[in-house]
Amino acid sequence: MADVIFIGLSLSSILLLIALGLTIIYGAMGVINMAHGELVMIGAYTAVMTGIYLGFNLIAALPVAFLVAGGIGFLMERAVIRHLYGRLLDTLLATWGIAIILKQAIRLEFGLSFLDIHIDGLGTGLQNVAIPAFLNQPWSIGGIEVQSYRTFIILLTVFLALVTWFLMYRTSYGIQVRAIMRNADMAAACGIDVKKVSSLTFAYGSGLAGVAGVMMAGFKTVSPDMGSSLVVDGFLVVVVGGVGSLLGSVASAGFLGQVNGIFATYSNDILARAVVFGVVILIIMWRPQGLFSFKGR
Amino acid sequence: MHAFVADRRRLEFLAYALFIAGVLAMPLFIDAFWLNRIAKYLVYGMLGLAIALSWGYAGILNLGQGLFFGFGAYMAAMSLKLQSYTSLQQGSDKPIPDFMLWNAEPNAPTDLCCINEGSFLWLPFQAQWFGMAMAILAPTLIAYLVGSAIFRLRISGVYVAIITLALVLLTRLLIIDAQPVTNGFNGLTDLGWLTIGGFEFDPYMTQTYYLVAAGMVVVLLATRLLVATRAGLILQSTRDDPNRARYLGYNVAAYQVFFFTVSAAIAGFAGMLYVIAAEFASPTFMDLTFSISMVVWAAVGGRASLLGACIGAILINTIEASVSESEMLQEGWKLIIGFLFVLVVLFMPRGLAGLVNDMLDRIEAMLKPGAARPPATTKTAAATAAEKPGE
Amino acid sequence: MASAKGKALTIDGLTVDFGGFKAVDGFSMIVGDGELRVLLGANGAGKTTLMDLISGKTRSTDGSVHLYDLNITNQEEYRIARAGVGRKFQIPSIFRELTVEQNLIVAGTREPSVFRNLTFGINREGRRRLEDVVELTRLGDVLDRPAGELSHGETQWLELGMLVSQGARVILLDEPTAGMTQVETQKTAELINRMKGDHTILVVEHDMAFVREIASTITVMHLGKLLAEGSMAEIESNQAVRDAYLGSGGIH
Repeated sequence: MADVIFIGLSLSSILLLIALGLTIIYGAMGVINMAHGELVMIGAYTAVMTGIYLGFNLIAALPVAFLVAGGIGFLMERAVIRHLYGRLLDTLLATWGIAIILKQAIRLEFGLSFLDIHIDGLGTGLQNVAIPAFLNQPWSIGGIEVQSYRTFIILLTVFLALVTWFLMYRTSYGIQVRAIMRNADMAAACGIDVKKVSSLTFAYGSGLAGVAGVMMAGFKTVSPDMGSSLVVDGFLVVVVGGVGSLLGSVASAGFLGQVNGIFATYSNDILARAVVFGVVILIIMWRPQGLFSFKGR
Repeated sequence: MHAFVADRRRLEFLAYALFIAGVLAMPLFIDAFWLNRIAKYLVYGMLGLAIALSWGYAGILNLGQGLFFGFGAYMAAMSLKLQSYTSLQQGSDKPIPDFMLWNAEPNAPTDLCCINEGSFLWLPFQAQWFGMAMAILAPTLIAYLVGSAIFRLRISGVYVAIITLALVLLTRLLIIDAQPVTNGFNGLTDLGWLTIGGFEFDPYMTQTYYLVAAGMVVVLLATRLLVATRAGLILQSTRDDPNRARYLGYNVAAYQVFFFTVSAAIAGFAGMLYVIAAEFASPTFMDLTFSISMVVWAAVGGRASLLGACIGAILINTIEASVSESEMLQEGWKLIIGFLFVLVVLFMPRGLAGLVNDMLDRIEAMLKPGAARPPATTKTAAATAAEKPGE
Repeated sequence: MASAKGKALTIDGLTVDFGGFKAVDGFSMIVGDGELRVLLGANGAGKTTLMDLISGKTRSTDGSVHLYDLNITNQEEYRIARAGVGRKFQIPSIFRELTVEQNLIVAGTREPSVFRNLTFGINREGRRRLEDVVELTRLGDVLDRPAGELSHGETQWLELGMLVSQGARVILLDEPTAGMTQVETQKTAELINRMKGDHTILVVEHDMAFVREIASTITVMHLGKLLAEGSMAEIESNQAVRDAYLGSGGIH
């Protein structure tokens, strides 16, 4: 049983890692960022590229990926998202377009493929990233053997969730973000630079996606198409948890990860995922505002 | 003012006539290979139109339209699979899908009823009409049930999008998992041809093209008439302001369910025609990408215009096919689609159809100054329409 | 007067409890057929909540609402509307993308079923009614315009016109002159006066000049309860009303 719970915990941590950035972006800004999965993919490619050209291992790639994905997110917000606030479904569609662009940028090696120049690590092919040796041995706690890489992901997720919580609830920046979440017009009237805070929030959420990507690279083959299914997982976590609720996302990632883990153990991975979708549909129909939405209205 | 409206009606009529004439004249200009391709894109046109009906007219963004297309396709494909020579070469007098035999237990009876646990589900599909009827009925029924559940709970906007999306992905997984009955990832291939009264519809024949084209034209015209009925008008009113409609005495959910179901039935019919032309059904029909692509086509063509969305779908796919000779070009085209889509959402929320409308407004304003209203005001109406579903 | 012509709207002991807070508390009122009744009260007196309860937007926890002899308590909104209650919101709500004429057609269908609406246009009877409403609201010049392009005043008149088209026997109006210019308010008062008699009208309004223009009987609410009922003169001299409004210096 303990090993099943550990598998669930490991799945939960990955879900949360992907969803963390989305929670903030969707919650704070009402933007459904369909390109979030592609930002994860960019993070994974950052791990590939820094490994090839700079000899970085996965852990060294983490801050780089945070900056790269965060930078792309910042540009996205400035160029496109900014013009679509308040148009929820339109942000969904526009970011889908951005997702295609990001995917094609990697596939076409930033367009250099047209000139027949090829960059090692990019293109349509699959890439693999090695896990650093010290994270590669299994170790055992309480009689069960666990992978140290999975454990590392869990710890990193906990760490990032705490950092995010601290940023949102213990800094003046966080107060501004939460003010914008509740009422952007009022926040602006109170002298908050809504545009600046929005850009930074979007960049931070995107940066988290980049970090998630590096960790994904350690146990999944990296390819330009890896992002599409991730964004769905991320969204289900966010919606089930309740829009804009950090605690809700943690709880819902924990719950969905365990559901997935338990069903995967007793049937197979495909059915387990199907069950997760089914559970999510029922939860949304029962409580569209999510399990942990803030009160009001 | 009345003359203005009448002129615009005449122009719309002309646009429909030209489009339909173009579709019907297609076989004069292109070879069998391209005719088959265009037939598939006409099917995509129906999908764009189905999206425009639910999104543009009802304000319901369905991100899981692939569910209904896929169901239509699978139902039709099951019948055609049993017609295939690959199903008849098994020494049994009853056809059995080849993949069932390949994967059968060593001592399983060679009979469709019980070669595996789920194979009996295929029995009624021995009658071709059953598969074709189910291709429309199954999506209709599913949409009715799903729609009733969603809309009676007054779920709207992005939650409908997420539920429909989760539903199509869920179904896709179930189909893949039910490998013995559905052939899983591989889908249903090596299908036989649709046969009506002894006539076999070879996908590369002009007759098959006309079968698909006629289906598309009928659906296009019927849908156009449907939205012009009072029910269509009431539907649009529920999109603009569901509460107002409610306080006028309309059961908003009933209207949403009805049109959601019609949209699904069109998608199911499209799935059936697609299988007839393309000769396969696959779980990729239920991929996230495919369902969102339909929305992209409709958005580029014009979400609030049935004809626009239809043309948008056909155009995008035809261009994509013409660049498919080179892999580089194809990848490049996808990149362009990405940019195009962002630009359309940002600057042209009403798509190509809206662009044409604005141009007509401008021409009108030039021809008879004072008679036409300034195009700027119609633009604000469109912008608010674009914002509406997100609230 | 009310008893002679029959009771259009009978509210009996109506209560809604929002987790301990009773926004409307044992409220009773009878509005006679064809009467125009004004509902007064300070902010938070429960006027809009009362309209929500009558029209089915909010479910009551106790008491009943009858439309003539029909019990409409806690029915679904569209059923209450079909029974003959029309409602105008404080924020004008019309179908912005449809033309003015289409708005009126939607309102005047008199047929709720999807399937029976699968035909085109409206019949002669419907056309005649539509022309009457256009005449009443004086929207003839803008029939082909999308409703989203109308001015604030025109939007309000369109919404009133839709309630008439709908065939509502009892019409609930929530601050029909909010945000209007002097001229628009005047025209609205005329319009409501012309609707009076054919329809039973219940109006929430703060603009006292406007109330004098239209009112016959006034009901005053305070903290969810009935405070007073009577003519303008009676209300102005009522001690309970004066006490309740003492802080704001009475009603003017």
